[in-house]
This record gives sequence, structure tokens and C-alpha cells, in this order.
Amino acid sequence: MNNFQKYTTQIRSHIVLVLLLNNILFILDWWMVEKVFKLTGYWFFAALLVVPLLSLTILPWLTTRYLTQPTKLIWQAILHIAPDTANVPAPDTKHISIGKDLVVSLISHVYQLASVADTIAKTAEKEESNLSHDFIASSLPLPLFVLSKDDTVVFANKPAAQYINLEQNDIIGQNFYTIVDMAFTNERTFDAWLKDAKANKAVASQTWERVRLNRQDIEQSMQPQFDLAAYYNQGNPEGFETMVVMFDHTNQYSQDDQAMSFVALAVHELRTPLTLLRGYIEAFQEELEGKVSPEMDDFMKKMAVSAGQLSTFVNTILNVSRIDNNQLELQLHKESWPDILQSAVANLRTRAEVRGITLDLKVDGELPIVGVDRVSITEVLTNLVDNAIKYSGTSNKIVLHSYVTREGLVETTVQDFGVGIPESAIPHLFEKFYRNHRNRAQVGGTGLGLYLAKVIVGAHGGHIWVRAHEGEGSTFGFTVLPYTQVAEQGKNGDNESADIVRSAHGWIKNHSMYRR
Amino acid sequence: MDPQQKPASIGKKILCIEDEHFISELYVRALTRAGYDVTVEVDGQRGLTLAQSNQFDIILLDLMIPTITGIEVLRHLRNPEETPSLKAKVIITTNLEQRDDIRADIEKQADGYIVKAEITPHELVEFIDTIK
Repeated sequence: MNNFQKYTTQIRSHIVLVLLLNNILFILDWWMVEKVFKLTGYWFFAALLVVPLLSLTILPWLTTRYLTQPTKLIWQAILHIAPDTANVPAPDTKHISIGKDLVVSLISHVYQLASVADTIAKTAEKEESNLSHDFIASSLPLPLFVLSKDDTVVFANKPAAQYINLEQNDIIGQNFYTIVDMAFTNERTFDAWLKDAKANKAVASQTWERVRLNRQDIEQSMQPQFDLAAYYNQGNPEGFETMVVMFDHTNQYSQDDQAMSFVALAVHELRTPLTLLRGYIEAFQEELEGKVSPEMDDFMKKMAVSAGQLSTFVNTILNVSRIDNNQLELQLHKESWPDILQSAVANLRTRAEVRGITLDLKVDGELPIVGVDRVSITEVLTNLVDNAIKYSGTSNKIVLHSYVTREGLVETTVQDFGVGIPESAIPHLFEKFYRNHRNRAQVGGTGLGLYLAKVIVGAHGGHIWVRAHEGEGSTFGFTVLPYTQVAEQGKNGDNESADIVRSAHGWIKNHSMYRR
Repeated sequence: MDPQQKPASIGKKILCIEDEHFISELYVRALTRAGYDVTVEVDGQRGLTLAQSNQFDIILLDLMIPTITGIEVLRHLRNPEETPSLKAKVIITTNLEQRDDIRADIEKQADGYIVKAEITPHELVEFIDTIK
């Protein structure tokens, strides 16, 4: 017999019992009123009515209570599992009189159903989130690779497959490095980063610029170029340890390369005849010095100086082009500042002398060892002195002065006593191509030198300034940092090299004579 | 310029791989006067063969040269299987500009890097005198 039949039988027997009880009560009532209390008239009827009324209210009430108790308990169970009414206590089946088996079984069904529903909901939620992840990953218009612990590709979206020219199915399960061959601009490669991350980090992320993809089916100059972003999460529970996204910049970078290679080509073409000019002029000087008139000696010197200036200018163009292309890399070494000044002045003195200008150098006291890129900081000095020569007018002296500031920086000033600078022009002096502050017909210049000087000094962590009045000459000054300060700033964990590489803007060393 | 003051140059052999005749002419003149023994080669491949003969102390290597580029010559010279024990110091002499990273890479492999337009032949000699 099942629980429901049991329940109905129980109800049936209860109802029979209740009806019997009711009949007994009626008979008992009539008997008591008539025979025991011997009531008559109105009292007889009133008393006769009270008992049935009582029995008709209390008994059904009791019956219903028993009958509806199971429903109540089931309802309580449902309320108990419903999230909004979870504060309702779990039903207590101890005191059930009728249909206990059915109620217990029904309640247990309710709880079972609830747990099933819960599982379904959770699974659905998970499925849905997977679905949305998949959706995002596949509709991301950027190449995306997901790698497992052993650098195997576990996911690659369509753009990724297209980018490396393989089918999506052929990528999954492959080692990332065998299917994606990347060339980086320096030794901080993806490979090196990932190795380091795996060894030392729980979570890491990194980006790279100008990464080149080596694709066998594309010729060298057309290879895709992109920026790369990677995210690493050690022991990701899903097995997705590394995520790699590529941002294609092939067009932009190849345009840059072309623009750059145009300048590089022009520079190369200019430099070859310059090399020859400087070489032959020097040969003439060696052979003829003292053997020709002093005027001819002077002419040869002027030729040599002019060729040197042209060479400086070629470098300025090149460097400004580098800055425009955001390629800055300064190697800050320990250097003796007086040494750098001496060798720059040795060169520049000839330039000043052919224009009848003396170049004085003053160094105050002991200067600390500085952290500079020798070649580029020499370029700053050259540009400032060239500038001073150009604007010296009829004055015949330029003073270079170096000292330590109160902040402990090494400051160098270049002072001329020439035409000066109108106040209105001062704020624009270090802007690219700015040069209309002085009479253009009187003096030449590109307006690039001071701009370049500012960028280089800035990249050294220093500051460049000018103090001038019209007609009273001008003083340009800049600071460089002692090596100890540079090293402090450059501290980033690995001190394997004593050199500090600075990059901020766009710079290439272009005329270092010696490799250190 | 007096050879007596520059014993560094005595008997030192220099290979100048350079296809611009005017430049090699100037360099040969200045270096010979300083006491160096200079051989000029215009071709990359032949220059490499000469360099591998290991009879030179210093190699001046231009980058834009015929047959194989200076970068390739340098790579062959730095490959121990092809060039087991090169005694010569390799100085890159070029007017070519490359990207910073490429240049750094070349500089790393070479013993020196000179932009020709930056220096006069006399300054080249001064630099070479400092090489031990």
C-alpha cells in the first residue's frame, strides 16, 4: 500500500469516527436534555441547539486541522527552501498524526527537487558564463591565444588563426612557440618574461611594442608588426595560465619604418660626401699648414669647421626624426663631467675661433661623477655653443661655466654677450622649429637645436633653462644628475649592469666613437 | 704622427673592408703614415675570406658593401664554427643609420662602432691607437 492510499484510508477512518462521534453526541444531547435535566419549552430547544453547534464547529475544526496539517508542512518546506523566505524553519514532522508517511515522503521530494533545481541553476550559470567567455573570446577582433602550463595553446580565436595563417583546429594543442615566431626589439622577450613569471610570480602582465611576426609565407619587409599584451596567472583552475593578445600595427609601423628609412637614407647619402670633405680638408691642413699664406690657413680652418657643423646638423635632423618616432634610448654611464666638457670644448673652440670668438671654460671645485649619455649630452653642449656663436653678434666671448647647485645637481651654463632674446620669445625657445625671435636674415638656423637639447636634457632627468634680455646677451643652462642619483632612480631590482638605460621620448645615439 | 711616439702601430696589420675608394684612400693614407700596415678590400665575401685568414690585428668593416653585407661578415666572424679563433678586433665603420635596437645588436658583436662622418682620418688613427 502506498503512502497516498494509506493517507486516504486514514482520513476515511477518521471521518467515519468523527461522524459516529457526532451521532453519539446528538443522541447523548437529546437524552440528557430530555431525561436528565428535564428541560422544557424554550430551554429545551436552546440546550438542544448548543451541543450540535459546538460539535459542528469544534469537531470539523479539529478534523480540518489534522487534514490540512500535511499541506501546511509541505508548504513550510517549500517556503524553507525558497530563497526569499529562507528564514522559515524546516518543517517538524514529529507531531503529524495523519498521513505521516505521505508528508515525510512529500517533504523529502520537495527537498530533492530543490537540490536538483539548485544544481541546474548553478550549472546553467556556469554554462552561461562559459558561453559568454567563449562569446567574448571568439568575437574579440584581436588575435587572442590562451596557453596552458606547458605553453600549449588551449584556445585561439579566429583572428589569431588568421593572423598566423593557420586553421583554428591546427593551433589547439600545439606548442605556442612552434606556431608563433616572434621577433622582439630587445632581449626582454615574451619568452624571457614568461619564464621569469613562471619562476617568480603568481600573477603578472606585460606589454611589448613593435613585435614582428615571422611568417614563412610573407616576405621580410611585409611581416606583420604588432604590440603584444600578455597576462599570466599561475595555476589558473581552468588550466588557462597565459593569455596573449596582439594589437596589429603593421601599417603604422611600416610607415614609420619608411619615414625613418627615408631620413636614414638621406643621412647616409649626406654623410659619405661629408666624410670625404672632412678627410680631404684634413689632408690639406696637414700638408699645407705653414706653407701657405695665413689667410689660406684660416680658409682651411673655416672649411674644416663648416664641414664639422654640417655633420652636427645631419645628426640633429636624424635625432629629431628619432624623437618624432618615439625611439629613445639613452645609456647613462658614470662619467667625469670636466672630461666631457674638455673634449667638447676642444672641438667647439675651433668653431668659435674661426669667428673670432674665444670660448672660456670655468669649472667650480670638485664635481661629482655624473650619469650621462656622453654622446648625446655632448650634442647638447654643441648645440648650445653653436647657438651662442650664431647670436654673439659683435661680441667676442662665450663662457662655459659648470658648478654644483644647492640641490647637488651639476649645472652648466653657456653665456654669450650678443644680441640677446626678446622676452616674448623666451617661452617658445625650446619649441620645435622656433627661431623667429631673432633676425632671420642675420643668422641661420633650423630651430631644431634647442628642441633637441631640451629633449636630451629631459631624458637625462635634468632641466634646461634660459635667462636673457634683448641686447644683453643670453645665458642657457642645464642640469645633469650625479651618478648616485641616477642610479637611485634607475633602481629596479636587477643591478647586473652599471649602465642605466633611459627611454622617454625618442633618441638614438648616433655618433658615438667608441664602444664601451 | 711620429711613429716613435706611437709604438702601438708598429707592425700592426689592418684590413679595411670599404667599397668607397675615396674613403679607403684617406684611411690608408692616415693609417700608413701612423705606421700601420693596411690592406683594402671592397668586396664583402672576399673581405670575409681575408679576415678569416687571421693575419690581421684590426678589421675596419663597412656595413654597405657588395656581395655580402658587413652585418653578415660580422656574423660569420662571430660564429666559432666558421671562424674558430679570430684574433682581430672588428671595428664597424659606417655612415648608415639603423634602428637603435639593431645598432645595439651590432655594437654588442663588434669591438667598436664608428660613424665615419663624425671623425676625420686623423681621429680614426687616434682611436685605433687606443685598441690593444
